[in-house]
Amino acid sequence: MSAASDQQVVAWAKQGHDAAFRELVRRYERPVFSLLYRMVRDRALAEDLAQETFIKVLNGIKSYRPEFKFSSWIFKIANNAAIDHLRRKNIDTLSLDGAPSAETPEQMRATSLQLGDRGESPLDEVENRELGTAIEQAIGRLRPEYRSCIMLRHVEGYSYEEIAETLDLPLGTVKTYIHRARNELRGYLEDRRD
Amino acid sequence: MTETTLHLTTDEIELWAQGLLPAARALHLSECSLCRVEADRERKVILELVQLPHFAPTAGFADRVMAQVKVPTPSDSWKA
Repeated sequence: MSAASDQQVVAWAKQGHDAAFRELVRRYERPVFSLLYRMVRDRALAEDLAQETFIKVLNGIKSYRPEFKFSSWIFKIANNAAIDHLRRKNIDTLSLDGAPSAETPEQMRATSLQLGDRGESPLDEVENRELGTAIEQAIGRLRPEYRSCIMLRHVEGYSYEEIAETLDLPLGTVKTYIHRARNELRGYLEDRRD
Repeated sequence: MTETTLHLTTDEIELWAQGLLPAARALHLSECSLCRVEADRERKVILELVQLPHFAPTAGFADRVMAQVKVPTPSDSWKA
């Protein structure tokens, strides 16, 4: 089955073959997990979001339209899961200066985020090793929408048109995001070298 | 301005980094130090990006997914 096209494997999955579902997971677990991991930069969370993505895709396989690439469909759902998470996190995150509604110094202190010494878990060590290189750190500083475009372009080898279709963005926006992202990456990397 | 005198666009620099820049534009690159500097900087970033690895989720990921997938009843047309 590993030689079959995605469309063929999806057709088998639609017919109810367990092995076809597993084949789709085998093909896409690494690309989908990698995209999510670089988006949210937390291994456990990326794995939860990857699991959520696959469950949604595989349970909805009958609604898949074969005129689109299967990979575009699954990356679209994964990216939406990451963006939704990051938006929720932004809303939930307390500022170091306290909640936006805090007006007095007391209110600001009471609602501010407390940073303490944090022991490093084995998972933190793995994350530091995997995402600790200069290029990974530079990617982590990009806006999330730039990050997904740059990953699809250079890690997955998507064309600009495929990225536009996958992320539901105008082609010009995709080009702008990728050019700006590479420009920012160059800046970060060159600053580190200086 | 002709095809050999115009500075390279960002798209063209990406084509060059992939070895796909048309000869006429490559000629400009060989003669223009501004474009060469810009193209070299861009190529370094592109090379770092294309070498990024895929990461793997933890062992048993597929089993955890499959435990929550409702596989429809198989038909007779299955061919492995």
